[in-house]
Amino acid sequence: MESSQKSILSVDGVEKAFGGIHAVDRCTLKVLPHSITGLIGPNGAGKSTLFNIIAGLYRPDGGEIWFDGTRIDGLPPYEIVHLGLTKTWQIPHELRNLTVLENLVLAAKNNSGERLLNLFFRPGQVKRDERQWRARGREVLKLTQLDGLANEHARTLSGGQKKLLELSRALMSDPTLVLLDEPVAGVNPALAGSLMDLIEKLRQNGRTFFLIEHDMNVVMNRCDWVIVMHQGRRIAEGRPETVKADPAVIESYLGG
Amino acid sequence: MASTGSGEVAKQMAGRKLPWSEIIAFVAIAGIVLAGVLAGVLAGASPQGILTNVGFYASIAVIFAVLALGFNLQWGYTGLFNAGIAGFYLIGAYTMAIAITAPAPPIVIGGIPVYPGHLGGYSLPLAVGAILAMFASGAAAAIIALPALRLRADYLAIATLAFASILQIFANNLQSVTGGAIGITGIPKPIEFVSADAPFLNASTIVGIGSAILLVLILLLQFMAESPWGRVLRAVREDEEATMALGKNTFNYKLQAFALGGALMGLAGALFAVTLGYVSPSSSFAPTVTFSVWVMVIVGGSGNNRGAIVGAFLIYGMEWLSVQLKDLVPQNPLVLPPDLQGFATFIVLIGVVVTLTGLLYIVTGWGLLKLRMWAWWLTVIASIVSIVSQLTQFAVVPAYGFPYLIVLPISLLVYFRWVRPTFMQARAVSASSSNESLPPGPPSFPKRTPSMTPRRPVGVTVLGVLAILFGFLAVPGGLVVLAAFGFIVRDTIFYIRIMIIGVLLILLILHRPEGILREKKRVLG
Repeated sequence: MESSQKSILSVDGVEKAFGGIHAVDRCTLKVLPHSITGLIGPNGAGKSTLFNIIAGLYRPDGGEIWFDGTRIDGLPPYEIVHLGLTKTWQIPHELRNLTVLENLVLAAKNNSGERLLNLFFRPGQVKRDERQWRARGREVLKLTQLDGLANEHARTLSGGQKKLLELSRALMSDPTLVLLDEPVAGVNPALAGSLMDLIEKLRQNGRTFFLIEHDMNVVMNRCDWVIVMHQGRRIAEGRPETVKADPAVIESYLGG
Repeated sequence: MASTGSGEVAKQMAGRKLPWSEIIAFVAIAGIVLAGVLAGVLAGASPQGILTNVGFYASIAVIFAVLALGFNLQWGYTGLFNAGIAGFYLIGAYTMAIAITAPAPPIVIGGIPVYPGHLGGYSLPLAVGAILAMFASGAAAAIIALPALRLRADYLAIATLAFASILQIFANNLQSVTGGAIGITGIPKPIEFVSADAPFLNASTIVGIGSAILLVLILLLQFMAESPWGRVLRAVREDEEATMALGKNTFNYKLQAFALGGALMGLAGALFAVTLGYVSPSSSFAPTVTFSVWVMVIVGGSGNNRGAIVGAFLIYGMEWLSVQLKDLVPQNPLVLPPDLQGFATFIVLIGVVVTLTGLLYIVTGWGLLKLRMWAWWLTVIASIVSIVSQLTQFAVVPAYGFPYLIVLPISLLVYFRWVRPTFMQARAVSASSSNESLPPGPPSFPKRTPSMTPRRPVGVTVLGVLAILFGFLAVPGGLVVLAAFGFIVRDTIFYIRIMIIGVLLILLILHRPEGILREKKRVLG
């Protein structure tokens, strides 16, 4: 975890202000490949804003963001997704009146049926792609234990199930880096455990996870690197046990 | 295991239930046509005349259905609100008229311009004209959407509304292109008949062509909207930001849906030009067309093509039927002086308002007794209606406005004393319960919004009962006024039509906000 290692995501001096409030204030951090990196900090520290900036949903006021050798700040969100970076939302953004499986299939990359002309000129390809993505969707749902609900409207899911749906959608497009905004908040302990096991397994398959979490159990036991944000800046980083002992972190976040 | 489980659920959902919504919609449309035929028979029209009339209904309803399909693609599927349907319709109609008519130079008699002429007169085949009309409207939609779609959703509504108004003014004043107020006449029919049966044969051809086009459109739109492409449109409707984060260029999809919807409206305009044989900047392209299409799609059920078509046939059917019935209503037997005629019209209007208010009170009372959240909002609406009608009625029949004076303060008192606290508490309870975390388990099917709390304060009960009682007093009262004065006023049937449509809308929105035909759940195999 030395800083000399090549990072998969590097945020360099990123700024974002809403009115007079500097939500993200010249924030600089790196995420190393194949890691589970935690991002912690008090409420209002700018964590979710930073995630939204990385995913392209907000345009930063300044700074650079590099992902896998490509500069991504200023790119529209859909192009960033196509580069292999997906994010989940803290408050689930499920597509309410679509079924769970439809929600997943929508996350497919390059599904030929989503282009109008292909519907008429390449019907065979459309059918093949669709069948393949549906099968992939069912696979992912099995991983996240939502397979029994595949054909239910997303609005009928419980809060925790919607969190799972978020994660499932993020996994659909086979991303290299997944930004998870509080993945286990509102999920029961047993499921949270298996969810983190799943994330651990996926990491070993070569994916990288960057997650915001307030559950210290998860952060301390599952993350191999922790970054602490406060008032829009990175104030500390290191291995979980080091960060836990850092006086600045204790003062601003963990509490005495 | 799991997949067979969900298969069973799907089977249960499909069930053996009859498609009641579809049956009811079909019966309603058939009833409207039969009633129109009956009205024709009673008025002593010839069989061929009646058929021509029904044909007219069908051909105009088909045009509205095409408009509704276009709006449904924009609003029902993609969530883009178009407030300028009439404008795209107008472009289609004028493009068609200019393309297929013979050249029409200005006519000047004795130095006075009688007809300003119009652009072109290219005598193109009808099919070419229709395609040009679709292109023109589709391009106009794309040009408007390009800047407006990048802004917040409401800007699109404002831009399209302004666009439609400007176009109507253009049509009226850009004489050398549009023929000004006279418009463009002499639009050729698909087949020119010369026999005595010409009106009937014309109507039949138009209906045949229109139905064929509608059928093709339905199949095409169904194929497109239910494809992966259509799924992205529905995703944009649900949550554009999330769809973007799923890797979709949502702007492109919105642009495609909006332009295609506009092209459909242009096709409807082309059909309209051929059906009527002339276009003019008349009420055919007024904002009321836009409003009608909104109502059609919302009543029929947005987000599914069947709903849009059913809505078009139903709502236009009501309008058509009311015109048919107008001939049946005995025309004013007394020749009233104009001021008395005006007075009678006023009384009839009061009858309509009182009847409507009464119905509103009954529905509101029921909702209050059931502690439904919308009931309070209806109370507010009813109060506003009552204040307005009270002001108008005091001028004429002071006694009639009196009940409102009692009901209003009581309802305000009851609101602040009982209703508001009850609903606030209920809202807090439901907000805290929705946050609880549940493990994945069997799905639950909430039937409808749960009522607030089981306990109903006395004040709410009193208000509900009072509202229902008052409603049951007001409805017969209003109907009696209508019956007594209706026959001397020529336009009574028009007011009654508005009333019936209003009542249907209120009932429908309360009972099925999603319209007559619901958007079906897409069960993926």
